[in-house]
Amino acid sequence: MRFHIEVKHPERCIGCYSCVYACSRHLFDTVDPTRVAVFVRVNKSLENPFSVTACRFCTKPECALACPQGALEVLPEGGVTLTPSKCEGCKNYDCIIACKLAALILDRRTKVPVICDRCGDCAKFCPHDVFRYEEMKT
Amino acid sequence: MSSKLKRVLHVDLTKKESKAADRPELFDTYLGGASVAAKLLEEECPPKVDPFSPEAPIIFAIGPFIALLPSMTKTVSMFKSPLTGNLGESHCGGHLGTALRLAGIGALVFKGAADDPTVVLIEDSDVRIELASSLWGMSPLHVEKTLRHTDQDGIESVTSIGIAGENGVYYSGLITDRYHHFGRLGLGAIMGAKRLKAIRVHGTGDIAIQRPTEFKSFFEEIHHRVVQTEEMRKYHDLGTPLNVMMLNEMRSLPTKNFTRSTFEKAEGISGEHFLETLLERKITCPGCPVACIHLGGLRRAFSPEHELGRKEVFEEVELVPYNYEPIFALGSNLEVGDAPSVLSLIGQCERLGMDAIMTGSVLAWLTEAYEKDLVSREELDGLEPRWGDARTYLQIIERIAYVKNSLFKRLALGTWAAAQKYGGEDFAVSLGKNSPAGYATGYGFVIGTLVGARHSHLSNMGYSIDQKATTSTMSLEQIVENIAQQEDWLYVLYSLVGCYFARGVYDEETVLKALDLIGLPKTAGELRQLGNETFQRLYKFKVTEGFGLLREEIPKRLTEIETPFGKLDPNRLREMLQHYVKIRERQGLKLRREDEALAELLSPRGA
Repeated sequence: MRFHIEVKHPERCIGCYSCVYACSRHLFDTVDPTRVAVFVRVNKSLENPFSVTACRFCTKPECALACPQGALEVLPEGGVTLTPSKCEGCKNYDCIIACKLAALILDRRTKVPVICDRCGDCAKFCPHDVFRYEEMKT
Repeated sequence: MSSKLKRVLHVDLTKKESKAADRPELFDTYLGGASVAAKLLEEECPPKVDPFSPEAPIIFAIGPFIALLPSMTKTVSMFKSPLTGNLGESHCGGHLGTALRLAGIGALVFKGAADDPTVVLIEDSDVRIELASSLWGMSPLHVEKTLRHTDQDGIESVTSIGIAGENGVYYSGLITDRYHHFGRLGLGAIMGAKRLKAIRVHGTGDIAIQRPTEFKSFFEEIHHRVVQTEEMRKYHDLGTPLNVMMLNEMRSLPTKNFTRSTFEKAEGISGEHFLETLLERKITCPGCPVACIHLGGLRRAFSPEHELGRKEVFEEVELVPYNYEPIFALGSNLEVGDAPSVLSLIGQCERLGMDAIMTGSVLAWLTEAYEKDLVSREELDGLEPRWGDARTYLQIIERIAYVKNSLFKRLALGTWAAAQKYGGEDFAVSLGKNSPAGYATGYGFVIGTLVGARHSHLSNMGYSIDQKATTSTMSLEQIVENIAQQEDWLYVLYSLVGCYFARGVYDEETVLKALDLIGLPKTAGELRQLGNETFQRLYKFKVTEGFGLLREEIPKRLTEIETPFGKLDPNRLREMLQHYVKIRERQGLKLRREDEALAELLSPRGA
């Protein structure tokens, strides 16, 4: 099952990292806030509200257009899918730099970008309705 | 990274060296948190050591479920308390525990003392011990902003002391990640003596999940219980300030230095009122979906010349965390009946880095001592403490933190020590030299706090047992038995290290299943034994350091206040203590010093 997911109310974030932990559990069977496709970031001090960032599934994605290898394929519904074999060998990581949201990071183990697969776990485990999400019609 | 805890990081502040030791068996046997810290305290703390000497250790330990399961978030500290001259134990939330875990550290031990202000910076396995003169004298709130990186991957935490810790106030604490505290028993003063201003930990590691399919469905079940069921609702709605009205209605809200158990202005400082008028945000610890930390907006004019008669426009807003204990200590117990004033007093303790509960206790004793002419206006630097006068209390708190003169120096040692010098022992409300929390609920609270290894209301839930006892046929003996059982079990929870608020979710069955899922299978018997063993280890430490349970006095004031049981009878309190000692002695625990005769046990003294 895949979901439309949107960071709708970042101001509601309480900093529990439930979304982040859920993401790394889903993608890699681990708890690792450095290998995720959703981000809770502290803005210099915990006095300030958290930033919550996730892929916005652009129809003309900055990341895909920046990739010289064509490793990121644009999906009809927006967002991208990765062909890891095409990605290997690139040391520039243009895709990571291109994303204005900083919603894409490099998996430090596999050295390829971590792509959201729309599982919806971030939204499901958020206790404060930061995300809006609904099932995608297939 | 390994899915299990194993590493103990030793930092020697004198030599400016650190050394990591991998001790998987320590964590496999003792799980983590309180049990590991108790073991390390036994190893690292020389008997009868001066708490301020370089040989006195500071120990931090985390638990095996941190970042893996909901609300398993905290860090336990152990040290020799300057306040009690005995066991120091304090727990704290925030990002610290998770940052340590992701840096691969299960426990952290500081020894030695630096000559100059120092900061310890931990980046995964890299440890730097650096000069930090520029941070000395700074509020912990500014230290947090100064030391935190921006946009770091992983989890980062900043812990620091304030002026009160630098100046050796016996009840100064640590502020972690701005809104969390190692508040109790004076860890701040110990850090100050070591000239250790702050600790930054940044962890970018990972925790592998074993048996992912089972684990995920188990996680989902726990998450659901934490978020969607009634078990923890009160903590995320009103938060613990819910207690203000609840306890007031039960005649259990300590007011005016424990002279009364109801406060006519309770509504003005109630959780409901804070929520409606001051609540700005809620935050939580990483890994806990509850958000029990409620932040109130403390509004102040920038400065008189900027007010222009329109204060509501030209004002600064500082977010101050509030919860029940500080509201009782700096509110009802001082007869301060409006929420903004209470918030300003809490904010003062935050900026200076002081334990709000003991600060309130000292102010309450002082106000009464001043009324009774035990201290003079001259000694008070011209200030006149009066019930409900928050403005004067703000100034007194500052003078205590800066240890202004001999009176303030004495006040900086806590309520018990102040009464030893100036008199008024009858109304110096302390138990085991610590200031009790805000529950005039009855026998269980007094006995529970007194017998608790760290003299906290969270040691054994005596106040909660009282509430059950008043609505059932539970006898005083049964209250005592419950207290002993609860403390043993809570040492299991504090070894894991679960948040106390989640104690309803993590029952024995749940804990056993969770341990099995992370590859640390235990039996129910083993768990219970661990809790009891840790309690015994800590009491052994206490007795060695001079604690004698049967020699402890219960201040007269605590037998004068009306509770749901009526006024507490000193003879019955004494009998309960004796019953407790019998229960523990049957378990083989030595509760008395060698020089204490058995006769003392048998001859009741005035409580």
